[in-house]
Amino acid sequence: MNRLLFALRSSIGRKLVMGVTGLLLCGFLVAHLAGNFLLYVGPDAYNEYADTLHKQKLLLAIAELGLLVLFLMHIYLAISTGKDNKTARSQTYDRKQTKIESNSQGIFKAWPENWMFVSGALVLGFIILHLIDFRMEFRPDITYEGKEPFEKAVMLLKNPITATVYFAGTLLLGVHLTHGVASAFQSLGTSNQWTQKCFKWFSIIFGVGISLGFASFPVWALFK
Amino acid sequence: MGATTDTSNETIDLTIKVWRQSGPDDRGEFRTYDLKGVSTHMSFLEMLDVLNEQLLAGDEEPVAFDHDCREGICGMCGMVINGQAHGPDRETTTCQLHMRRFNDGDTIVIEPWRATAFPVIRDLVVDRSAFDRIIEAGGFVSVNTGNPPDANAILVPKDDAEQSMNAAACIGCGACVAACKNASAMLFVGAKVSHLALLPQGKPERKQRANDMVAQMDKEQFGSCTNTYECEAACPAGISVENIARLNREYLRSLLPF
Repeated sequence: MNRLLFALRSSIGRKLVMGVTGLLLCGFLVAHLAGNFLLYVGPDAYNEYADTLHKQKLLLAIAELGLLVLFLMHIYLAISTGKDNKTARSQTYDRKQTKIESNSQGIFKAWPENWMFVSGALVLGFIILHLIDFRMEFRPDITYEGKEPFEKAVMLLKNPITATVYFAGTLLLGVHLTHGVASAFQSLGTSNQWTQKCFKWFSIIFGVGISLGFASFPVWALFK
Repeated sequence: MGATTDTSNETIDLTIKVWRQSGPDDRGEFRTYDLKGVSTHMSFLEMLDVLNEQLLAGDEEPVAFDHDCREGICGMCGMVINGQAHGPDRETTTCQLHMRRFNDGDTIVIEPWRATAFPVIRDLVVDRSAFDRIIEAGGFVSVNTGNPPDANAILVPKDDAEQSMNAAACIGCGACVAACKNASAMLFVGAKVSHLALLPQGKPERKQRANDMVAQMDKEQFGSCTNTYECEAACPAGISVENIARLNREYLRSLLPF
């Protein structure tokens, strides 16, 4: 047990737990997106889904607690490894240039992988706003009482500022995922030269898919 | 930069901006020197030799830099040239980089490997003994001394032998650490763990090896791997990041009770 705890505190151990927590959170994103797609089916389907979900009080409480633990672990490990990584290079280079050909050209210049901490922090900010809007129902400019879940969702997303924040937040989430998913598989030691390419592509497709999926809701609500 | 003009039969004039640090406790600073008439046939280290002759003639201390075989084999040389470990070429050590890769009038910025685990000793020379201590922690196989065993007594599948030899190509120069934004040594440790773990002779100690080498790597204050793969691009021996995945696997395996 002591050895396991020691190992989980090592640089590889921490990245491993970070990868596992990240992938589990990706599983949640898929379930969340699938549920939200019921918005397109119509008010009845979405309201019924929301009601059924909210009736499972115990299960919901366990799931929420689990998600909170996953988020906190993921964030703590990002800060902890980030701090160590800063210590590992106390003096920076005067000039630094990549040797990866595909990264030195094009508009993206490998920024998803080099901005994971920043994109993660911005996504966290977006998630907090999202929880205030939908979970805590704490927005002072919105009247939540007497409204069905579908109506609340449309009302919130119709606000142009909210729509812009949600659109940007979900795009940033996609950026985070395009590197995060492949990185998690590498940290778990599952990749070889062939599967690494597959994971990279899967990661990009997953990130773009999740991002566009969630980003479609504020756009849809504006025309609703 | 890049081979934009044909300078194969020419000499070029350069401005060299190089890191000067008199000792480990000195703060260090960049100094700029003009170097005229550099033959494009020279290697990068020969260009530094010429610079040092010029400095000595002017009563200035020569620039200290590590070098040994000058054939791209030993892993001694290494510096960050214009922001790239070992300069602009792939799978090339500093000693094998030639001045024909630069153009007349270029300014070349030269810095030592920058990592807390590789403290600067003087100018471009860094202390890479952290790598030695990682090897001492587990980068070996324990064998009985005596007569050499029969060549074919232990059969090794060809694929395993190939992968092991590819990993063993690591010359321990430290370019992976220099290129990584986190100064991580995962490619080096991955290569060293892989080349032994893949062979039957290395298998009995694989769990202990992965554990001990990673513990030493962390103790030396190398950063963690964020999978940006700059190390692979900078490696003069062409070590693949597949070895990092294998190191992660070996480490995970070391935690299992079976």
